[in-house]
Amino acid sequence: MAEPPGPPRGRSAPLGAAPGHGRSRPGGTGAGAERRARSWAAGTLLLLLLLPPGDAGGEMCGSCPGPLRNGSVVARYCASRAGAESRGRCCLDPGPPRRLLGLDLSNCSLHSLPAAFAEAAPVVVLDLTENPLAALPNSSFLGFTNLQSLAVPLELECPGGSSAWQEVAEHGSSRLCHGQRNPCNSSGELAWLCPENAACAPDGPGFTQCLCASPFHGYKCLREGAFPVLPFCTILGAVTAALSLLLWGTQRRKAKAP
Amino acid sequence: MALPGSSRRQPTNRGLVSHCTHHHIAVFLLTFFSYSLLHASRKTFSNVKVSISSQWTPSCLNSTALELRPYELWNSSHLFPNAEEATLFLGTLDTIFLFSYAVGLFVSGIVGDRLNLRWVLSFGMCSSALVVFFFGTLTEWLHFYNKWFYCCLWIVNGLLQSTGWPCVVAVMGNWFGKAGRGFVFGLWSACASVGNILGAFLASCVLKYGYEYAFLVTASVQFAGGVIVFFGLLTSPKEVGLPELGADEEGSVEEDANRPLMGDADVDDDDRNYSIQAADTDSQPKAIGFFQACCLPGVILYSLAYACLKLVNYSFFFWLPFYLSNNFGWKEAEADQLSIWYDVGGIVGGTIQGLISDVLQKRAPVLAMSLLFAVGSLFGYSRSPNSKPINAVIMTITGFFIGGPSNMISSAISADLGRQDLVRGSSEALATVTGIVDGTGSIGAAVGQYLVSLIQENLGWMWVFYFFILMTSSTILFISPLIVREIRLLLHERHLRMLAE
Repeated sequence: MAEPPGPPRGRSAPLGAAPGHGRSRPGGTGAGAERRARSWAAGTLLLLLLLPPGDAGGEMCGSCPGPLRNGSVVARYCASRAGAESRGRCCLDPGPPRRLLGLDLSNCSLHSLPAAFAEAAPVVVLDLTENPLAALPNSSFLGFTNLQSLAVPLELECPGGSSAWQEVAEHGSSRLCHGQRNPCNSSGELAWLCPENAACAPDGPGFTQCLCASPFHGYKCLREGAFPVLPFCTILGAVTAALSLLLWGTQRRKAKAP
Repeated sequence: MALPGSSRRQPTNRGLVSHCTHHHIAVFLLTFFSYSLLHASRKTFSNVKVSISSQWTPSCLNSTALELRPYELWNSSHLFPNAEEATLFLGTLDTIFLFSYAVGLFVSGIVGDRLNLRWVLSFGMCSSALVVFFFGTLTEWLHFYNKWFYCCLWIVNGLLQSTGWPCVVAVMGNWFGKAGRGFVFGLWSACASVGNILGAFLASCVLKYGYEYAFLVTASVQFAGGVIVFFGLLTSPKEVGLPELGADEEGSVEEDANRPLMGDADVDDDDRNYSIQAADTDSQPKAIGFFQACCLPGVILYSLAYACLKLVNYSFFFWLPFYLSNNFGWKEAEADQLSIWYDVGGIVGGTIQGLISDVLQKRAPVLAMSLLFAVGSLFGYSRSPNSKPINAVIMTITGFFIGGPSNMISSAISADLGRQDLVRGSSEALATVTGIVDGTGSIGAAVGQYLVSLIQENLGWMWVFYFFILMTSSTILFISPLIVREIRLLLHERHLRMLAE
């Protein structure tokens, strides 16, 4: 009787195999339940067909030839982190569960971001330098909540503006955006105003989202708690059986067939 | 409709005291709660309207470029672009329901008389519970939102819900004779109000888990009620070998012979009654046709009268909270609470007027008197000052004089009409007649909802009240031929009695 189970759907679906990164997200569990609840059977099926399960951003690792480039931010990060291993252009935490930690797309002749770029959303470190990139669309980094270090060509600004980062530095031909700020804490913008029962949560550099505050869940966070299915069914069933028996015994037992 | 000589006994006492076996109590409670549960699931729908309309619409937070993320959480539902259109659709569903309910009443009365009343009632409760479950719970679980699907389900629900009223009134009419009928039915008519309270209570208890659970709970409880009715309801006294009630006064010979047994009837006595009565109950009565039922004296007139009266009565139910918050600027919750007084007045009015009509043994004159007072109280209510206590008092009085007669026509008088001399013994007409009366009434109510909103928008609230007064007067007009006939009978009786002395 509970909400129909199903794999998550939508933008966050590829994250399914690589859940949260230890960053606290207000109402994160509620949002997870929500996404499960919002899954249409058809949509789920489509996604299952389209996405290889369990391979967190794996497609991105082979999108660019060669291994991690020596001296890139990703390679440095991967080396400094215990247990992390590189595969193609990726830095992975073998897990389980396996997690995508870094992605090096530098010197890939990218004019724009690859189509499957959103799959790289869980990365912590990302290198886009030495690419002839034009200005990136505003929403490219939507959902990159774990991103801590981003290297972009000097021509480009840090996504979300420099106010979305704790530190912006220039290194030769690259610009390093370091330390994502939590836009929910900045009182300057009104972006963190969320509807009733919801709380602001970061959603990538300069982006906020509204997630249900515990114990609320469901579409528009209208639902609170879980319906006690078992007690309700038990009590109703027992009362019905008892009353039926009682009334049959006292009323209909001696009744003639109609 | 009563026989001139029937006043020789004290009907009220006998009907209430000596007749009351535990079967009567069980039947009273079962039918009472069956209809309460049916009404509760209707009330649930109106109580969860706000939740449903926000489920059906995307959120539009001050409509700036600032869009709420994540999209699935805030904007993925697009059945209606905004809450206004969702509200409009919900109103349409109400109207659809009322019309299909009215049509269903005509049909289910006929069905009820031909099949077993218990089966029809139990089937109606269980199947309409299933439809409500599909409508509110299953569509939400599957995220299948479709306007046409909702409309279809609500039409089916109206048809299935309509099996309730004719069946419960017919069962009650079988068990409670005309003698105490006015009082018993007046008390019993509280079932609709109790259902409203029950529905509001159940819905408010579980609404926080999601509106689908409000539907789930009321539907499950209604389904359980259907099961209990199936196992426990005795549709007529003859099923346990008690004597069947006669047309309007019980067949005196048969009845008097059994009276000693009936006086202290309990489980032990049932067996004896059974064996005594077994022989003369085997003749299966034939059901009456729809047109035959229409042609029974009083049926058409009472139906038309009830159409006018139910229009006023239902308009009060639907529009009173809105009127109070709109006209006096009172808070919606306060207005909701205050409007309960109208129900209270209706229950008390129905019971007291039923009692009076039992003593007089005439219903039409009581009805007419009450309706005359109703015109006055409507006039008074339309000029009620902006004070909650005064308004509540006038509201109760209005409920007493409008809700009372309305309850009486739909229950006690319908039962009288279906059990009158002309159909006595040979046929089953109770459910059919009840269906006709209540069906016509429901059509009136459905049309009225539309008219009231139209009048209120174009002419203002005062004209709504003038419209109510007009409708109440029409009710009096429709029953006036019956009053003339009953008063003539009353005078004739008195004349006979004087001659005898």
